[in-house]
Amino acid sequence: MTDLPLSVRGLNKKFGGLTAVQDVDLDLQAGICTALVGPNGAGKTTIFNLITGNIPPDAGEVLVNGKPVRGMVPHRIARMGVARSFQDLRLFGRMSVRDNVLAAIEHSAWLWQPGGGAARRAREAAVDAALDRTGLTALADARAADLAYAERKFLSMARILATGGRIWLLDEPASGLDPHSRARFVSLVRSAVADGVTICLIEHNLDIVTELATRIAFLDRGAKLAEGEPQAILRDPELIGIYFGERRT
Amino acid sequence: MIAYLLNLATLATVFGILAASLNLLIGYAGIFSIAHAVFFGIGAYTGAQLAILFIPDVLLACLAGGVLAGALSLCLALPALRVRGEYFVAASLGLQMMAVTLFSEAHSLTGGHGGLVGIPMPTLFGIDISEPATFLVFCLLVLGGVLLAIRMLMRGSFGRALMAIRDSESAAEAFGKDVPRLKTLAVGLGCTLAGVAGALFAFYMAFVNVESFTLEQSILVMAMVIIGGTATLAGPLVGVLLLLLLPAALSFLPFIPPTQIGAVQQLIYGGAMTLLMIFRPAGLAGQSTGRR
Ligand SMILES: Nc1ncnc2c1ncn2[C@@H]1O[C@H](COP(=O)(O)OP(=O)(O)OP(=O)(O)O)[C@@H](O)[C@H]1O
Ligand SMILES: [Mg+2]
Repeated sequence: MTDLPLSVRGLNKKFGGLTAVQDVDLDLQAGICTALVGPNGAGKTTIFNLITGNIPPDAGEVLVNGKPVRGMVPHRIARMGVARSFQDLRLFGRMSVRDNVLAAIEHSAWLWQPGGGAARRAREAAVDAALDRTGLTALADARAADLAYAERKFLSMARILATGGRIWLLDEPASGLDPHSRARFVSLVRSAVADGVTICLIEHNLDIVTELATRIAFLDRGAKLAEGEPQAILRDPELIGIYFGERRT
Repeated sequence: MIAYLLNLATLATVFGILAASLNLLIGYAGIFSIAHAVFFGIGAYTGAQLAILFIPDVLLACLAGGVLAGALSLCLALPALRVRGEYFVAASLGLQMMAVTLFSEAHSLTGGHGGLVGIPMPTLFGIDISEPATFLVFCLLVLGGVLLAIRMLMRGSFGRALMAIRDSESAAEAFGKDVPRLKTLAVGLGCTLAGVAGALFAFYMAFVNVESFTLEQSILVMAMVIIGGTATLAGPLVGVLLLLLLPAALSFLPFIPPTQIGAVQQLIYGGAMTLLMIFRPAGLAGQSTGRR
């Protein structure tokens, strides 16, 4: 079991009196897309924040490639190959599209990067490839803040793509996309999975979940209520009742 | 008239270095320090003491002033690592206030309120460069070097990392940026350069006292950077020229009584900053992106 790309054991987090995450166990199987599904406020984003070290858990542990990451700062966890997107994108707004992606893969916290010209060309090639796959090549010099909505969503994907990280945590990356962009997004994620990337996807649109996910973990009020194959989860009337019932209120 | 212009040009050059160094913090790293005059002061006192006690070599003074200001910049880096935005502004204000008190009370180091007088004429490797034109050329060379270094660093990965942190600290972390270290580096570099400017300032004035390192000075430098345009190379220089030439120009206007120049100046600065932030938030030299 230790060779799972990412697993979470007995995770708990309270914010004041509010239990955001309660006794959550979650395994991401290598090379598939696992969807986190649940109504608003279920604790999905909080689980991402706990995994990436943005907030410390009250209890429980996170293992990346079998190694516990307790107490590690976010940038160390990121360098283990965990790349994430944010629900609110958090692009580097005043920087160009190209620099957004380039900045995402320059890790050395010194005045310049090691490796000289060869390493620099490799980074530039990675950026070009990521821009190409996300359809942003023509916008490389535009300011991130000036992009249209769908383009910003794809830029947040390009940053992740370029890192070469093998574990992706995607927080509602397709929300609000038009059908055409959504199809592009689905094929982007599919080809990443085909490349062996392990993905955890938070997504409210159950069509996208069905298209991409091999497994679903269903969360409500911080607890994992069920986990399994999409057909099993999405046909469970009780879960669907919670999902749509809670969303309407 | 020539002497006056040389004088003004030298002052503008020294402030150009100072504003460019603050731009590193404000414009690139998003660290809104209003304690920049403190490090300018540390550089000035260090350079002055070195010249008075040992040797008036201007290069040595710049090095010493820069190193000490850079080392003491940890006082600024610590709050910058823990808090952001308005909390950091308040923390740096505290540092500024503390430093002014120390500058005025630490007589043996700073000469107290009276300051340090009788700073010897600047030399460079034993050659006298006190001639105003010569000293100006030296200052311009330093400014050129500083701008070149900033340009190279900010166009490279260091600049991108700082700007990424400025635009979204949590995303920068999520993409592997060692934020505390990068911020400490930025603060250290910015304050080192402020110290260099301070050492030059000490020779330029031939005496230094706490009046030059107060909150007003910090705010003036910040105004230069913001009015000129943050995160651009030319911005701080434009700001310096504007804010230094303005008082000079005003003194030529016959209808403003000399005693009122200060007040008129303040009104113009204040008004310009407010209007600029509304209509051209990127500053005069910044790219105009319009309001969205
Ligand atoms: N930093 C925080 N401080 C306090 N409460 C928080 C914090 N982050 C999240 N919460 C609360 O924890 C609960 C779970 O939030 P979370 O963002 O994880 O939900 P989610 O499943 O991602 O919901 P959504 O689908 O709306 O994005 C919510 O009630 C939220 O208000
Ligand atoms: Mg969420």
